[in-house]
Amino acid sequence: MVDDVSRLSDELARDPASLVFVPLGEVLRRKGQLDLALRVAVRGLERHPHLADGHDLLARIAVDRGELQRAFDEWDMVLRLVDGHAGALRGMGFICFQQGRLAEAEQYLSAAAAADPGDERIRQALANVRAARGQEVPEHDGDVPGVDETQGAFTEHAPVVAPDFSHDSRFLFADVLSDMDQTALLLDRDGLVLGGAYLDHEGNDVAQEVGAELSGVTDAARRATRFLALGDWSSIVFETEVAVVAMAPSPDDGLLVLATSRSTPLGLVRRLLDRCSGCAARWLGERAA
Amino acid sequence: MSSQFTPMLDGLTRQRGVSAALIASEQDGIVVDSSLQIGQSGDRVAALAASLYRKARLSARAAHLGAVSFMQLEAPNGRLCAVGAGPLVLIVVANVAANVGLIRVEMLRAAAELPTLANGSAA
Repeated sequence: MVDDVSRLSDELARDPASLVFVPLGEVLRRKGQLDLALRVAVRGLERHPHLADGHDLLARIAVDRGELQRAFDEWDMVLRLVDGHAGALRGMGFICFQQGRLAEAEQYLSAAAAADPGDERIRQALANVRAARGQEVPEHDGDVPGVDETQGAFTEHAPVVAPDFSHDSRFLFADVLSDMDQTALLLDRDGLVLGGAYLDHEGNDVAQEVGAELSGVTDAARRATRFLALGDWSSIVFETEVAVVAMAPSPDDGLLVLATSRSTPLGLVRRLLDRCSGCAARWLGERAA
Repeated sequence: MSSQFTPMLDGLTRQRGVSAALIASEQDGIVVDSSLQIGQSGDRVAALAASLYRKARLSARAAHLGAVSFMQLEAPNGRLCAVGAGPLVLIVVANVAANVGLIRVEMLRAAAELPTLANGSAA
């Protein structure tokens, strides 16, 4: 990847008008060098303001920086340039999901699935949203005021009144997670769920089951590090066939669990874990106050 | 006394920063073989590491995430790494100077050989 950065940077230096800024920015983003990736993307778009892939890159960088509204606006621009762009629709669906706008999220993801039927991630994301909607709005369709479902929310962005999910502990990490295939869960010392959710690939919330299996991890980790004189444990990370799962201690012997796709760079996993830890600590502090 | 696992374990402890390498039963954490520095006790390390690995594996199963490969516990003064291979877990204790990327690769490679070595032991 270092070679890629070097090669692409050289190519861009030779020809500043080259479109190579898109793959270069993407490589930097995946390495977690978000400030540099942002500069590359912005400079590239100054020369190519109508390049959809450039705006798509900028949107993904914005998501990683936690700037969801900026990401939404960039994907909106992508759709104006390329109607039915699956990546943009998926990204906007993700942002709506993170903001608790589930009806809109389903619309975007349905459109994305129609635009790219072979994309398994979109299919799974759509399943996640539909599962979440089924749990949240079981008695009606959950239409969001201001959005005409017959037109599709992505053709005209009317003002939206988003439902308030701030009281719902399942959305505890909604502002922190930056992709549809990321999920986080806060457990107490007995493995009982305090907040967050743990969605499997079919969109089912398996938080209780995961919590039960992880009961006692904090104690075992503490005993192991004490015995080996390693100091207080800071994280446990394990890889599975489809995911990377990271855990960190939380207040009162609790446990924070974060799952991401295998494609998520480990550096980004650590950053997300830190941000989720901060979010959990604040939330627990507010509840204790 | 050496066993069929000794070359593998010695190879792991030769890695920079590695202070112990053990093979344990995942189910009960009993040590099958180990390569330890003088003065170390492997029994409790194996039991705790195997327990952590087992919990990780069971939680991954509950979340339909597939098989667990590499696990590491991080702390300021070192890390504990584990890789599963059927009923066995390969465990490494390393300090902060260790190259965890290299250790990960070596452990995954060693774990792939474990079933063959274990079957040789049973034969």
